[in-house]
Amino acid sequence: MSRKVCIIGGATTPFDYGPTGFESIEGGAAECIKETQQDISGFSLRDLDLMIYSHFSVHFSHQLAPEWIIHDHLGLVGLPHFRVENGGNTGGSALYAAALAVMSGHHDVVGIVGWETMDSVSQSQGSEFIAMASDIRYELMVGGIYPIYYAAMANKWMKENHVTEEDVATIAVKNKNNAMDNPKAQWYRNDHRYITVDDVMNSRLISYPIKKYDCCLMSRGVAFLLVCSEEYAKKINPDHYVTVEGMGLSSCTIRAGDRLNNPGWSERYGPGYPGMTEFAACRNSAEQAYKMAGITDPLKDIDFGEIHDAFSTSEAQIYKALGLADENTIAKFIRDERTSINGDIPMNPGGGLLGYGHPVGATGLMSTIECYYQLAGMIPQKHLSKKTEVPDPECGIVNSHAGTGTSISNFILRRP
Amino acid sequence: MTVTVVMKTKKEKFADPPNFTEKKDYRPSDVRETGFAFVGHEISEDRTTMNQFLHYDQLYTIRHGWNSKFFIGLLDGKIMGTRCPKCGDSWVPVRTHCWNLDCNLQKTEWIEMPLTAKVHTWTVAGWSGRSSLKRLPIVLVYANIGTSKVAMANELHGLNPWDVEFGMPLKIVFKPKQQRVGAVTDFHFEPADFWKPSPMNPEKQRIKDLVMPVYEWVKTLK
Repeated sequence: MSRKVCIIGGATTPFDYGPTGFESIEGGAAECIKETQQDISGFSLRDLDLMIYSHFSVHFSHQLAPEWIIHDHLGLVGLPHFRVENGGNTGGSALYAAALAVMSGHHDVVGIVGWETMDSVSQSQGSEFIAMASDIRYELMVGGIYPIYYAAMANKWMKENHVTEEDVATIAVKNKNNAMDNPKAQWYRNDHRYITVDDVMNSRLISYPIKKYDCCLMSRGVAFLLVCSEEYAKKINPDHYVTVEGMGLSSCTIRAGDRLNNPGWSERYGPGYPGMTEFAACRNSAEQAYKMAGITDPLKDIDFGEIHDAFSTSEAQIYKALGLADENTIAKFIRDERTSINGDIPMNPGGGLLGYGHPVGATGLMSTIECYYQLAGMIPQKHLSKKTEVPDPECGIVNSHAGTGTSISNFILRRP
Repeated sequence: MTVTVVMKTKKEKFADPPNFTEKKDYRPSDVRETGFAFVGHEISEDRTTMNQFLHYDQLYTIRHGWNSKFFIGLLDGKIMGTRCPKCGDSWVPVRTHCWNLDCNLQKTEWIEMPLTAKVHTWTVAGWSGRSSLKRLPIVLVYANIGTSKVAMANELHGLNPWDVEFGMPLKIVFKPKQQRVGAVTDFHFEPADFWKPSPMNPEKQRIKDLVMPVYEWVKTLK
């Protein structure tokens, strides 16, 4: 019988790009831990028995094994540590690893530090660095960067699902405007304005149908998350802990074009799925997480989510992969604003990648932390107002997503 | 007890390295592999914050190994694919072992694909990575080449970006032989000769409106 896994705290640095955000990475990690200690007065660094580091690209950090610098800086010599790297799903995968460590009974208190420093090179060079996670032999040099791959997938998906540019623009508006209530969000700190669907529609072309404001932000940022056994949670933070009730991790092809006719998916879901449009690894990992958490109707059983909105289009695709809507209902699902803060299943009240930012290794942790804050009733103290507080939530979903949907994890978090 | 120690006079070789006889070097003359070098810094007026600039040029060797026939094929103006002799699935990009678990990593055989393809999906890019910016706007399509079960990404040339369509027939066009480097950039897609664009419609107009400023922006790039 595996043990229950709990989350008892966490914090991020402000997410930024360029002119602000000049703490060092190890300094940022230290500040995240200190903020967590302000929330949980009994938590000491001495309680940790494993550290997991969540970091995507050493191209950005121009340093191999940069986690060694952070670990050393935190004074944790002697404590076991390793780094997890799994593209955009690095944060989710690090949480998966931490949960396995606690479940196994081998570790009780696991800290995760995640970060990325994407402003160490120009935006266009940064895009190319990230695109090195696509198959460089076949895709990188033919004009390929991730927004372009995603646009090619979304273009077909939108047509097949009767979803318009304006529909997905509402998702960009929702998340960036949610971020205006979050002082650590990059959109709040840099662009700092409320936007409309027209603003999205009129923003510059990135790759049709994706425009600039449909895209997430390249970021510099650090996050810390504290994962532990139920026994430690009850001892150290009895009033503000949440449980990881379900989790799933799944995989798909590196090249999106290889999803056509793929026998691995055909034998699970029948021929024709996922094509180049659906996120099969999201569906698959959600099914694992739902099964583990006893969720039969996600729309009814889940109150809100923090999901991987690298693009407004991908948030829409994720709704469908999570089983919140199908081909016939997805357009109406978006138009009815079901995922706005006043809807029945708010998504990305913290701002998401579109608003909070996307420092890759920190991102999945940021999503988890925001989900934790909502469930632990901490939004009034962490956000600027109660405007982005989900009313009395019991159950949230965290989604972390990599490549062109190449690795995806889902977690179900609940109030105990 | 006697122990016999056999001393090998010659080191045993497990495999012979390939004998590389055809060598080409088309590296731009301004690329210098200097290793790491600090090439500058900046300090804030209040002297609390410093940025340092690190430069790094490095030549990588991409060893194509068992995939080499595909890339050598490009030099010859051919699209080489692979096919599983057990289940018959075929692919470009190639797989040297079958993806079907029932075939249990069956080694595949090489086949030459026809120089025709069909668009599976498409996008019109107005922004890209640093090395592609000056080629914008780029029509990127995923297309099935010949009998391939999977779609391959490449640029589509020879039409107005807003005229690209799902399912449109394509031909594969190679660069002149002397310009080829054995990479996927040696070829691109063009509309099949018999294909004609459909009349202007609201979506095409929308894409045209989004794309026109991109042409202007590219002119401003140095």
